[in-house]
Amino acid sequence: MRIPELTLPAPVASLLGWLPSTPPCWALVSTLNQLKKRAILPVDMSLLAGRRFEVHVLDAGLRLGFCADEDSFHTASGSEEPDLRLSATLADFARMMLREEDPDTLFFNRKLIIEGDTELGLIVKNLLDSVDWSSTPLQRFMAA
Amino acid sequence: MNTLQLTLGPVLFFWSRDDILRFYSEAADWPLETIYLGEAVCSRRQQLRGQDWISLGQELAANGRRVVLSSLALIESESDLRRLRKLVENGDMQVEANDLGAARLAQQQGQPFVAGHHLNIYNADTLALMHSLGARRWIPPVEMDRDTLAAVLQQAASNNLQIETELFAWGRLPLALSARCFTARHYNLSKDDCQFRCLEHPDGLRLNTREQQAFLTINGIQTMSDGCQSLLPHLADISAMGVKAVRISPQWQHTAQIVAGYQHAIQALAEQQTTRIDLTPYADSRLVDGYWRGCAGIDSTGEAHHAHS
Amino acid sequence: MPATRPLPELVCPAGSLPALKAAVDNGADTVYLGLKNDTNARNFAGLNFDDRTAREGIRYAHQRDRKVLLAINTYAQGGDISRWHRAIDEGADLGVDAIILADIGLMEYARRRHPEQRLHMSVQSSATNYEAINLAQELFDIRRAVLPRVLTLDQVKQVIDHTKVEIEVFGFGSLCVMVEGRCLLSSYATGESPNSHGVCSPAKFVRWEHGTQALGARLNGILIDEYQQGEAAGYPTLCKGRFEVEGDTYYALEEPTSLNVMSMLPQIIDIGVAAIKVEGRQRSPAYVAQVTRTLREALDAAGREAQRFSVKPAWTQALSKVAEGQQQTLGAYNRPWK
Repeated sequence: MRIPELTLPAPVASLLGWLPSTPPCWALVSTLNQLKKRAILPVDMSLLAGRRFEVHVLDAGLRLGFCADEDSFHTASGSEEPDLRLSATLADFARMMLREEDPDTLFFNRKLIIEGDTELGLIVKNLLDSVDWSSTPLQRFMAA
Repeated sequence: MNTLQLTLGPVLFFWSRDDILRFYSEAADWPLETIYLGEAVCSRRQQLRGQDWISLGQELAANGRRVVLSSLALIESESDLRRLRKLVENGDMQVEANDLGAARLAQQQGQPFVAGHHLNIYNADTLALMHSLGARRWIPPVEMDRDTLAAVLQQAASNNLQIETELFAWGRLPLALSARCFTARHYNLSKDDCQFRCLEHPDGLRLNTREQQAFLTINGIQTMSDGCQSLLPHLADISAMGVKAVRISPQWQHTAQIVAGYQHAIQALAEQQTTRIDLTPYADSRLVDGYWRGCAGIDSTGEAHHAHS
Repeated sequence: MPATRPLPELVCPAGSLPALKAAVDNGADTVYLGLKNDTNARNFAGLNFDDRTAREGIRYAHQRDRKVLLAINTYAQGGDISRWHRAIDEGADLGVDAIILADIGLMEYARRRHPEQRLHMSVQSSATNYEAINLAQELFDIRRAVLPRVLTLDQVKQVIDHTKVEIEVFGFGSLCVMVEGRCLLSSYATGESPNSHGVCSPAKFVRWEHGTQALGARLNGILIDEYQQGEAAGYPTLCKGRFEVEGDTYYALEEPTSLNVMSMLPQIIDIGVAAIKVEGRQRSPAYVAQVTRTLREALDAAGREAQRFSVKPAWTQALSKVAEGQQQTLGAYNRPWK
């Protein structure tokens, strides 16, 4: 599956930006917790516990904030600066997740912006890289 | 009590033949236990050839100095190996092996040798192995901190290993070697046609960050620190650990004063006197000792870069 | 020259189980990996293998008739080196096809404790000449040595002609401009180096400064580079920063380029190189898949048609997409490089 080179049209983005981010954020957090529970996400929570994260979908104007404790992920609200912020367009996030694009390549091209604690960013990147999708139904979408 | 001895490391920069000869005619009178001679950095630097170094060494040795011939640290070509063999087979002086190949040649000759800091000896097992090949003195990697060295020496002692330790105590730190020549690169020259521009920079070329922080020194294929390593404040501890000698790495100016300063500090230490020696006027960059303290090598010596003993 | 030189082994990196599978599935003959600690030179948080993933990875590779190498390529530090000894014991127990070692003291341990275990000499051993390699061969029966990325092709041939140890060279990946095992720039700036901690310019010391004009990259407070709007950024590896020397600001040591030897494959095969290594255990499965697939194709083509071999534009394109800095060089193999 190839993801087309596209950016969300500005009107859609501004509309999305106005919507509350709670439902997508909740969906993200519960997906992470499910993946972790089924041991698909081989995560060492001690590396993430107590840290705040933000996924910023640039073209959707969407900011998804969440945090981690020793057991699971939770949604986070408030304006506190995250320890790690990852920003990219929706299409680039999708490419990265489906391993169509290498996160380093996106980063070198300034398409993926990593702000905050660089080591935490590396932990998250390595965590995503270590997910073995071959044990999930998602496998057929994977590029690699 | 063990009295520390002073040694003079090989000149790491490229100086003209006359400058080298003048330097060693002066150094012959300094209070040094050992003088290391030879080109350790770049095979293209041949103001003095192998036989010249050997002859110079024999002269200094005739004057009662212990002389060790330092081998090239990066041995790439067959001609590098030929020169190395000639050095090892000189017949009377020991060699400082700065490459495993040099250690092998010395072993084959049945020659005891000095294991240079490039040999990457980080533990007592590796030290024992080097000893079994013929190393009778070693220089720890310049990045090794005090506690790691203490642990290695303690273990070596409990294994009854008879080997002397020498520390890189003064000078710009030799940090890296490359196939690329950064001096030639700076002048937009190819390495094979470098026009020996290193001769114009007897203490190397300073490399600053984009906000003008002095950071590194370019010395041909070698990259050195800008900061000047100074272990002067730690001599008492160093001596108590059982280190045999401390090395002064030659610089373009003031090497005599630095040797004298260290000698004075060592003397005071032996006599359990207190002394204050300030060598900052003789360094043209910040004094650093971060490696020794288990920190980043670039970290400055604390408030006191004076010796207290 | 004999036309029947065996093809060099294609040795690919794996920082995770998916990367290992990607390498195997895309044509690697051999995969190399490290354990989750400072016994290997890519000691990054969240990377590498524990006992379970290592066993699964080895099973996956062996079922498909591929080999797995374990890199224990840092220098054992100080008084307590049991961690390194345990890693060697674990490698032998896992049944890896070879253990890659840098520290000759560890080679001695491995040979003594595991006499049957095949040993390789790591690039971190800085063995640039055959005398150094033959020493390790005589003492510890090492079977292969990985050459630092500093020799010309003629010098590589010279080494091959004077040793019975197999020679492995780097074929693709980020370019280390310094002799491996002999670079302390990272610890000078941060206190941690490849030799001591298995890291270079470690991420925990990296800070990005998003200014209004430029993006600044600092390592332990030291400004390594600054990028203007729209300018491609790079990880602040010390040797790949822009610095000022006598009034000029430029990549004083090395541009952020990748090594790529594709165009030299026929000569590499011809001089008898035993294996070609791809750098990048820290990179993603996407990178591993892309690079392995491309080099497999190129290597097979070079083996089939040495005389008429030419690099296909599609290969170059595929590799430049994932290359660091998006520029590629033949590095030291090619003499004009300066």
